[in-house]
Amino acid sequence: MLAKRSYLVILLMLLLGMALVACSGGAAEPAAEESAAEEPMAEEPAAEEPAAEEPAAEEADCASEELLCVGLVTDVGEIDDKSFNQSAWEGVKRAEAELGAKVDFIETKDAKDYAANIALFANNDYDIIVTVGFAMGEATAVAAGEYPDIDFIGVDQFQAWMFDDDTSNDFTNLAGLIFPEDKSGFMAGALAGMLTKSNTIAAVLGTDLVPPVVAFKEGYEAGAAYVNPDINFISTYHPGGLDVAFVDPEWGASTAKQAIDQGADVVFGAGGKTGNGALIEVASHEGVFCIGVDTDQWETVPEAHPCLVSSAMKLITPGVFDLIKASQDGEFPAGNFVGEVGLAPFHDLDSMVSDDIKAKLEEIDAGLRDGSIETGYNPG
Amino acid sequence: MSEQSVEEGNGRSSSWLRRIWNTTSVPVGAVLLAALIGAAILAISGANPLDAYAALIKGSFGDSAAVGRTLEKATPLIFSGLAVAFAFKAGLFNIGAQGQLLVGAIVAAYVGFSIEGLPAIIHAPLALIAGAAAGAIYGAFPGALKTYTGANEVITTIMLNYVAINLTDYLADGPWKDTTPGNVVARTPKIFDSAAIPFVGDIPIGFFIALLMAVITWWLLYKTTIGFEIRTVGLNPHAAKYAGIKVAFTVILTMTLSGLLAGMGGSIETQGIVGRYQPGFNANLGFDGITVALLGKTHPFGVIPAALLIGAMKAGSSQMQFSADVAKEITDVIMAFILFFVAADMIIRWILRTRAAEGEKITLSTGWGK
Repeated sequence: MLAKRSYLVILLMLLLGMALVACSGGAAEPAAEESAAEEPMAEEPAAEEPAAEEPAAEEADCASEELLCVGLVTDVGEIDDKSFNQSAWEGVKRAEAELGAKVDFIETKDAKDYAANIALFANNDYDIIVTVGFAMGEATAVAAGEYPDIDFIGVDQFQAWMFDDDTSNDFTNLAGLIFPEDKSGFMAGALAGMLTKSNTIAAVLGTDLVPPVVAFKEGYEAGAAYVNPDINFISTYHPGGLDVAFVDPEWGASTAKQAIDQGADVVFGAGGKTGNGALIEVASHEGVFCIGVDTDQWETVPEAHPCLVSSAMKLITPGVFDLIKASQDGEFPAGNFVGEVGLAPFHDLDSMVSDDIKAKLEEIDAGLRDGSIETGYNPG
Repeated sequence: MSEQSVEEGNGRSSSWLRRIWNTTSVPVGAVLLAALIGAAILAISGANPLDAYAALIKGSFGDSAAVGRTLEKATPLIFSGLAVAFAFKAGLFNIGAQGQLLVGAIVAAYVGFSIEGLPAIIHAPLALIAGAAAGAIYGAFPGALKTYTGANEVITTIMLNYVAINLTDYLADGPWKDTTPGNVVARTPKIFDSAAIPFVGDIPIGFFIALLMAVITWWLLYKTTIGFEIRTVGLNPHAAKYAGIKVAFTVILTMTLSGLLAGMGGSIETQGIVGRYQPGFNANLGFDGITVALLGKTHPFGVIPAALLIGAMKAGSSQMQFSADVAKEITDVIMAFILFFVAADMIIRWILRTRAAEGEKITLSTGWGK
């Protein structure tokens, strides 16, 4: 018995040992490849064993002039978050389809990895790096200084250096794609203010630590008050930190339910998965509308179809694509690039929105564009 | 039963080997089994597990920058792992390492950015000690609550985590907010260079401080009277009390020192890696300490390889996603399985057919009340 058991253990250890050797052996290959690829002669790696050709060719590709390589680093969260990261990624994928770019993404799990993830693309000779989310602004600016030959697109990253007198920190390879969220929220608020029958509307929001969320909220309330001065608001920010505020659908759902219990009949969900949780909760309440955020959430949160009348959109996908195109054409607009905002289509709830409301929304949209209507939001 | 006696009589010369095998077989087996399950999941999802693990290893040990990144990730985990392991020795389950770490991180940042003109030789240690002290005070609370009111430390430390998160968010977005023109982000100003804990090449100096603290923790636990008392309270508080050990004092002291370790980990993150306090930048470090402590068999020296392993997985996951197109979450899955198998060690013992070494059974909780 004892002998048999020992054999088993030894056998198991041997097997696992072999697996480990196989792993480390695999790791050594690409490492050797890299040092070869760093040499100016791109053909050299081909002289090595044929099995190793593929990664070498991949690296050489991005170094070449002809191929456009676009890398995207997400903010903390997943690429298919049905919101921010996903919209930006769709812009990058449009560049793949229309410009023939080679594209890839890295998801950030730990905010401390922003720089390391950007560097991974930069060190593999990518031409354009898209970073998503205002939190990555600092790391993106540092990288833009470090890699002057790469164009950086920072989604939602306000570029303050545009407005100071210091010329030493001016970039030619960094563009922040920003959006007037207050205007988008204003449109959503105006719609909510005209739809409500109880005269009470709610907003379930990610954290107020993130300025765009605050802009959405302030715009939303201003827009509702613009069409309906006596309206009541139940606006609630997630109380947690940045690590949970956008990924807490349970909190979003319970907060939406509370608001409905207090009489709200339109709920604006703005805050990643937290907001999505609110939308899905509202869908189970008869006669209550919900409004999504950032993207047309009709496409991204099908569970919310019964209540989703529209979404306060930031048109991230075309904004990202336009900047990639501009970079390829050699006309990269460094600084702040203001993207488009607007309301998403009403889809199946179109019949609930009267022609009068639609006309009024168009009027407000025009007013916001020509400046005759102001949202009153001033981030100071 | 008879087999045990056969094994014991089989050879005294190899008894130390067997003891090492008995203590390390569960963690090692758990890691390998978790890696195998991870490989199976990768294979099912259509990826090549060998490519994925190769990329993971390349990203964590492939070159000196990668090794530096691994050590960078492992350093706070050593601290939080030590904090949790240390409390375990007194039979206390400190789930509050996260909160203690956050408090330490922001206090170190405050000392780092608010005092100007000190030489580095004074400023850096001062910030480190301030952060450690803040963590210690924050850890002492649940210890005192347990002693004087009987409140279970598991509950109070979990609750105090939320207090810490919101307190630090408030400070970083309020009185201690970075007022640099154009800044809209909730974060403290950058600390002065004199408060920074630098790197040697790619190696963060904080890592060596972590190793030193592991040695000190071991010495305190196993070579001092107070360590003996802490371990005795952990084994049986009633017997300890009967033997004349001041159980109340020991519980508070243990939680204080546990908080000190976590707080010091937070300080080193601020001073060595981030350079300021920013909400969201230290997520999960304290919670991962629980995995690290359990994987390290709650021994100060076991914590180091455990932290290195988890740190390596965190450091290499980006490379894995980039090179092998594998979702990063696979590292979380592997970590979860490691924790699962370590906690449910009977599974591993059944597979490897080893038995628990004397006195190394982990007491997860001494139950409710005192």
